[in-house]
Amino acid sequence: MSRSDDSVLFTYIAPFLGVLLVAVGIAAAVPATYDVIQDDITTCGTPTIAVDSPEETTARFGEDPRPNLTRFAYEDLSEAEQEAFRDALDDAVGESRVDGEFPHYGAFLNGSLVTYEGERHYTTVVAENPCFVAAPLQLPLGVFAIALGGIGILTPPAYRKLVALEEGAE
Amino acid sequence: MTSRALVEMAALALVVFSVGALWVRLRREKTIESDGGATIQESISAELGRFQRQLLRILTTTDHREIGILYILFGTLAGVWGGIDAMMLRTELLTPPADIWTPETYNALFTTHGLTMLIFFVLPVFFGIANYFIPLLIGADDMAFPRVNAIGFWLLPPALLLVRMGLFVQVGGQFLGLFSPEETIRFFLSLREVGVGWTLYAPLSVQSQNPQLDLLLLGLHLSGISTTVGALNFIVTIVHERGENVTWANLDIFSWNILVTSGLALFAFPLLGSALVMLLLDRNFGTTFFAVEGGGAILWQHLFWFWGHPEVYILFLPATGLMSTILPKFVGRKLFGYRFIVYSTLGLGVLSFGVWAHHMFVTGVDPRIKASFMAVSIAIAVPSAIKVFNWLATMWEGDIRMSAPFMLCAGSISTFIIGGVTGVFLAVIPVDILYHGTYYVVGHFHLIVVGIIPFMMVAASYYWYPLMTGRWYDTRLAKFQAVLMIVGSLVTFMTLLIIGGVGLPRRQAIYPPEYQFANQIATVGAYVIGLSVLLWLYNVVVSYWRGAPVETTDPWNLKATRQFTKEWQWFESRMVAQYGLSPATPSSVRRSFDPSAEPEGLAGGVGSVIQDVSRKASAAAIGGIVGTLLMTGGLGTAVFIDVLDPASFGEIAELVGLPASPVLGSLLFLVGGTVTWPLLFLAFREFLPGRLLFERGLVFSTLIWTGFVVAFYTGQQGLGLVGYLAFGLVAHWSYGLGLTVTFQYLRSRQRAALGGGE
Ligand code: HEM
Ligand SMILES: [Cu+2]
Repeated sequence: MSRSDDSVLFTYIAPFLGVLLVAVGIAAAVPATYDVIQDDITTCGTPTIAVDSPEETTARFGEDPRPNLTRFAYEDLSEAEQEAFRDALDDAVGESRVDGEFPHYGAFLNGSLVTYEGERHYTTVVAENPCFVAAPLQLPLGVFAIALGGIGILTPPAYRKLVALEEGAE
Repeated sequence: MTSRALVEMAALALVVFSVGALWVRLRREKTIESDGGATIQESISAELGRFQRQLLRILTTTDHREIGILYILFGTLAGVWGGIDAMMLRTELLTPPADIWTPETYNALFTTHGLTMLIFFVLPVFFGIANYFIPLLIGADDMAFPRVNAIGFWLLPPALLLVRMGLFVQVGGQFLGLFSPEETIRFFLSLREVGVGWTLYAPLSVQSQNPQLDLLLLGLHLSGISTTVGALNFIVTIVHERGENVTWANLDIFSWNILVTSGLALFAFPLLGSALVMLLLDRNFGTTFFAVEGGGAILWQHLFWFWGHPEVYILFLPATGLMSTILPKFVGRKLFGYRFIVYSTLGLGVLSFGVWAHHMFVTGVDPRIKASFMAVSIAIAVPSAIKVFNWLATMWEGDIRMSAPFMLCAGSISTFIIGGVTGVFLAVIPVDILYHGTYYVVGHFHLIVVGIIPFMMVAASYYWYPLMTGRWYDTRLAKFQAVLMIVGSLVTFMTLLIIGGVGLPRRQAIYPPEYQFANQIATVGAYVIGLSVLLWLYNVVVSYWRGAPVETTDPWNLKATRQFTKEWQWFESRMVAQYGLSPATPSSVRRSFDPSAEPEGLAGGVGSVIQDVSRKASAAAIGGIVGTLLMTGGLGTAVFIDVLDPASFGEIAELVGLPASPVLGSLLFLVGGTVTWPLLFLAFREFLPGRLLFERGLVFSTLIWTGFVVAFYTGQQGLGLVGYLAFGLVAHWSYGLGLTVTFQYLRSRQRAALGGGE
């Protein structure tokens, strides 16, 4: 009977594509939204450094460390680096985040020796804690895909309405 | 950690709240509002009183069907929660570095995901289904120990809370952190979700400082007690409470499976309980069960997997039982080889205790012993293969009815075959050593744990929906949902199989960039699964209030194939008693949407040709305006997000010899949209494909879109190009729809006016 009720395109294919679009849209929009708000809710962009105690440093390298390690005096470090260094010394596992200028990042990445109050501390970056970077168009296109997908999902009832309208007009 | 806890709580709350709100709204629609009389306050207190009585009843019920529903609701909630974990896992894997959640968060996520799904989702739902249906299937009045049954259920909510307390404490801590200094709320900040993996391997699980781990162990222990108690109850019920003519030889296959499952649980869970206590002692009281000087870390693995492998079958056997129950009903044939299915179930039950060490091929177990485990593990494929063979044979030449439950059965069989075959490879030691730490394993077991367990749960929910609620679910939506679920699972987990096969390690938040595209596909597939689950939720909730009432005592027409099993006989007697239906008389046909039943052609021949043409032209112009306005919205947004260059409108003006001003171009565009294109459309619509006018409108606008794309292109690339094409297409579609729908709307109004004037 219901001859117009069986459009495969509008009853199954369109909502299926709609769901796919929503899924792709979520995949794009969620990380992109996160990109927007991450500054407020996370501490990304602040690498973690680990500072060994003098004993650990000696245990690691012996009394006479390899010459290819970069060396610094504590005073050479930037303010943020100094602060993180001190925090790491106090920290139970010897780690802390560098929140601010980090000019010696490259040297710390490969491991350096920092002399502080006459003692040597092996210091390395142990986690980069990178920030997430989304493509500029990712958010609007993601939202668009979700909206369009939503319309796709709602096609079958809309289709039935349109059919009714059309048949009313004939 | 911070963001994760909040995100997860918010997502969970959103789902629960939406379902609740939907429920309340639908219920409100159904209750008859009193017109005056009761004041608002009175009605509120009446409502509250009702609520209190309901709550008390739910809390104290010992009725097997009500407890069954409680189990199902609880399991569903846990499944949604674990599913949110899964979605978050997959979200993190959208990008190679750990930049959406931290690695620590990722670890917590796969730990809680695994535990929540394995312990709090699968078995509770199956126990719920069994609670509801086993007494009906075996002709018993209730479970053997109704009160024990209730206790068994009520142990679960606190268990889940203990296991996942970290989330609440963390969110609570962050909330308190807004007001109080860090020192005073240190406790809240020190608790966090556990990240040692769901297998809780020593020594990590012994050494982890996180106090939440102790709560988790206690919670798991509690859930183990609940399971054991429930299993005992099922065994006694099936052995002792069977109705007069229910024998072992004709006991239905679902009850058989629950019997075997319960037997497994009875042996497996007490063992897990002991191991958990040993771990707790090691952590807090300085014992050395799993320390090097004691039993060593390998002892934990043995104990764990001696529970863990049977657990896999505890999860999976009830699903096969549902399959063997449901599939025959939709192919109109009795289950092929009942007896062999029972034997294979028993065989799986026994063998499953003998293969635990295949999870430990990479540890230092004696190679000769390993080889024997390999042999048994391969042997266990035989009973599984028997089941598959019997299912296929049941379908063979059957009279297949394409309903959602059947589609899910077919989907399950296919994922099970893929999952099973890939599993046989893992039982081979050299292959396992290569693959056990990769996504190959994740793909393999998810094809089974997702491919057959939730599929069969959903199939069962559809199959028994009329029986449980007296209403029909939306069958069309259900079919759609089934397809989504199957496609989503295949895409997601086949992709994982492949990337694991080429060596991507699992349980790692950070992965090499060359896997990004594959991981994104898997994530999109996972979101499709997630959406399908939401659709299922929506369907079962809404249909409870709005579904068409069942008006026959044999909704699936099972009498025709002589499969009118005991639970439906119970249903029939209830329908007869409550609604005075006469048994299995095919009752009146359901009302269905049928627009063509309306009288047609009333307006035919009214008015002269001239009138007709002018009416059409003005209607077309109005339609054109509506369409163009709709289109402007789309294009405006495109300009706004910078994928469409407004300067290109200037070029259009230039094209017809006007100065290159975007404003003039836009005006021109408007004129085209209201005059030229609609007339063109009216002239050509007969030649466009499509049955209905709006379909032709869509085709037409798609055609103009191709022209638009060429004319307005200004060198966009990458995502910009995607956006340009997509926005342009959608804007054109909205134009086509706006044009044709307005046109038809005006026509139908006219017709109504003419018809009314007679
Ligand atoms: C929507 C469906 C699901 C998706 C998208 C999904 C996704 C995932 C992902 C991404 C992992 C982590 C892989 C890794 O990092 O190694 C995982 C692990 C796991 N999943 Fe699922 N999952 C789903 C459903 C289920 C279900 C229904 C169950 C059980 C009944 C389950 C049980 C597990 C287990 C046991 C693990 C292992 C955790 C571990 O490595 O410690 N999953 N899943
Ligand atoms: Cu196993």
